[in-house]
Amino acid sequence: MFLAYKEIMHNKARYLLVVVTFVLISYLVLFLTGLATGLARNNRTAIDALPGNYVLMSKYANKNLLSSVITKDQYDKVSSSDTALLGQMTVVAENPQTDKKLNSNIFGIRLTGALKPPVTAGRMPTKNSEVLADDSVTYYGLHRGDRITLNGSSQKYRIVGYTRDHRFATVPVFYTTLSTFRQIRFGSAQVPNVSAVVSKKKLTDLPKNTQQLTKAGLIENIPGYTAQTSTFGLMIGAMIGITLLIIGIFMYILTIQKVAMYGVMRAQGIRTSAIVTALFWQILILALVGVGIGNGLMIATSFVLPKTMPFYGDPMMMLMITGALVVMSLVGGLFSLRRILHIDPLEAIGGE
Amino acid sequence: MGLVDLKQVTKVYGSGHTAVTALHPTDFSLQAGEFATVIGPSGSGKTTLLTIIGSLQQPSSGQVLINGQDTTNFSEHQRTDLRFNTFGFILQGSNLIPFLTVADQLALVDRFNHHKQHKMSRDSLFTMLGITDLTNQYPSALSGGERQRVAIARALYNDPPIILADEPTASLDTSRALQVTELLATIAHKMDRGVVMITHDTRLLGSVDTVYEMRDGVLTKQDAAGVKKIRAAAI
Ligand SMILES: Nc1ncnc2c1ncn2[C@@H]1O[C@H](COP(=O)(O)OP(=O)(O)O)[C@@H](O)[C@H]1O
Ligand SMILES: [Mg+2]
Repeated sequence: MFLAYKEIMHNKARYLLVVVTFVLISYLVLFLTGLATGLARNNRTAIDALPGNYVLMSKYANKNLLSSVITKDQYDKVSSSDTALLGQMTVVAENPQTDKKLNSNIFGIRLTGALKPPVTAGRMPTKNSEVLADDSVTYYGLHRGDRITLNGSSQKYRIVGYTRDHRFATVPVFYTTLSTFRQIRFGSAQVPNVSAVVSKKKLTDLPKNTQQLTKAGLIENIPGYTAQTSTFGLMIGAMIGITLLIIGIFMYILTIQKVAMYGVMRAQGIRTSAIVTALFWQILILALVGVGIGNGLMIATSFVLPKTMPFYGDPMMMLMITGALVVMSLVGGLFSLRRILHIDPLEAIGGE
Repeated sequence: MGLVDLKQVTKVYGSGHTAVTALHPTDFSLQAGEFATVIGPSGSGKTTLLTIIGSLQQPSSGQVLINGQDTTNFSEHQRTDLRFNTFGFILQGSNLIPFLTVADQLALVDRFNHHKQHKMSRDSLFTMLGITDLTNQYPSALSGGERQRVAIARALYNDPPIILADEPTASLDTSRALQVTELLATIAHKMDRGVVMITHDTRLLGSVDTVYEMRDGVLTKQDAAGVKKIRAAAI
């Protein structure tokens, strides 16, 4: 620590470069992570909130909730106190008075049933002409009290309350009755179809032409979800790998420049272990300072990002990424370790 | 028993066609309180001898005894600790760590002094060497002579019984070189250390107890007549 600190303080400019590298890399990785987390959450929070881990959908839907239709015959076969009906449809919501339009979903549910979301403001709908909205609709100019149309319906629906963090396929969800869902999806409230059956217990004896998925399976099959998360995952992983290389090579070059000095230290009887310890202390100090600043910048940035930006700074994720960057930079120190282990005290004499 | 006893020590660098015999079978000994010097032309094997005494490398054959202990088969780890505790090195070029102040060069020794043995007081060392005002300077701000004096302070600080100096005066003018040599003589005579100094400057032999001459890897101890001859040759 003594050697590590003294050297950094004496060569501030040189080590500032390393710190700046850490700041930039960590800022970029944290930003990507925040975006990845935010986008993933926007796809899935409404599904995560479903009160059962099993979802029955039609077989031909190819695991895509958007295409699934379950008939009355099918859901009657599995209905129990552990199941709930869900109607999902992608819609455009519009406030005809302000011309504000918004891509969104409706989730048709039994308003007093298990799928009822928590109300964060206002109240639950009590009739077919009322909806509860994910509060992110306000970012797009729709508000409680507004009377909106869904897919250009002549019927208007009043937003009577908000819930929070209930989005599906990247857009907000409007919760409404199964009747409203049926009216919009099938043109008549009398068509008894739904999109899926949510069950707390694994269903046995599935009705014909149906397929059972777990919530995780459903989420993976949200169009674009897996491609998106794996792309982000790859980028973040690659950046963390690049950190190892950049910092490793950086420290290696600095080490090479110090071989003669290390030779002097070895000649004076300072153990290799002390030199190695100094190297890793140095990396740790530089990494913690750099990544710390990167985190600070990221937190500051998150306050000024527009709310419509799908950014979510999950502290656990940020901590993991930060930890991974620090660990990787220490691993990068192993490049230099080889060179240090081979330092010969005679190098102090050499070069005459 | 001397501080240092070399018995039939040889050193061959490389092997086969490219083998260079830097040191032919050599006997050498050093007592406490003795100031020995090795003179000889460049490439004659002086540094090789010093590095073998100082446990910086191992001989090709022969025995190296330090304080009567045979160190020939010491591990790298044992030799590191031996260097730390037994030898103070003053090398020709850079002896100092560039990012440490003069005071910190010595503080570093404290950090690695696992045995907490008796040390010379830092302040008395600095006073003796006339570098009291330099404690907060970095090596880059020091003159060549100041640097060598700090290197001497660094070498003495851990209270080693043996001081090994490889051309410590090479980068100094004559008066500075004489001062450093006098200082090494004082260290040997007043502090009862064994000092070996390599030099090719024969004007510096005034306060030296023993003079060796190295030629093509052969070390010869000079008697009074020999020393006279060498000094005469220099004038
Ligand atoms: N590490 C080494 N590898 C190969 N040859 C060396 C090495 N060190 C010294 N030599 C050779 O050994 C001889 C003696 O060198 P050295 O002990 O440095 O002499 P001096 O210090 O008297 O100038 C020279 O011929 C030199 O080239
Ligand atoms: Mg030499």
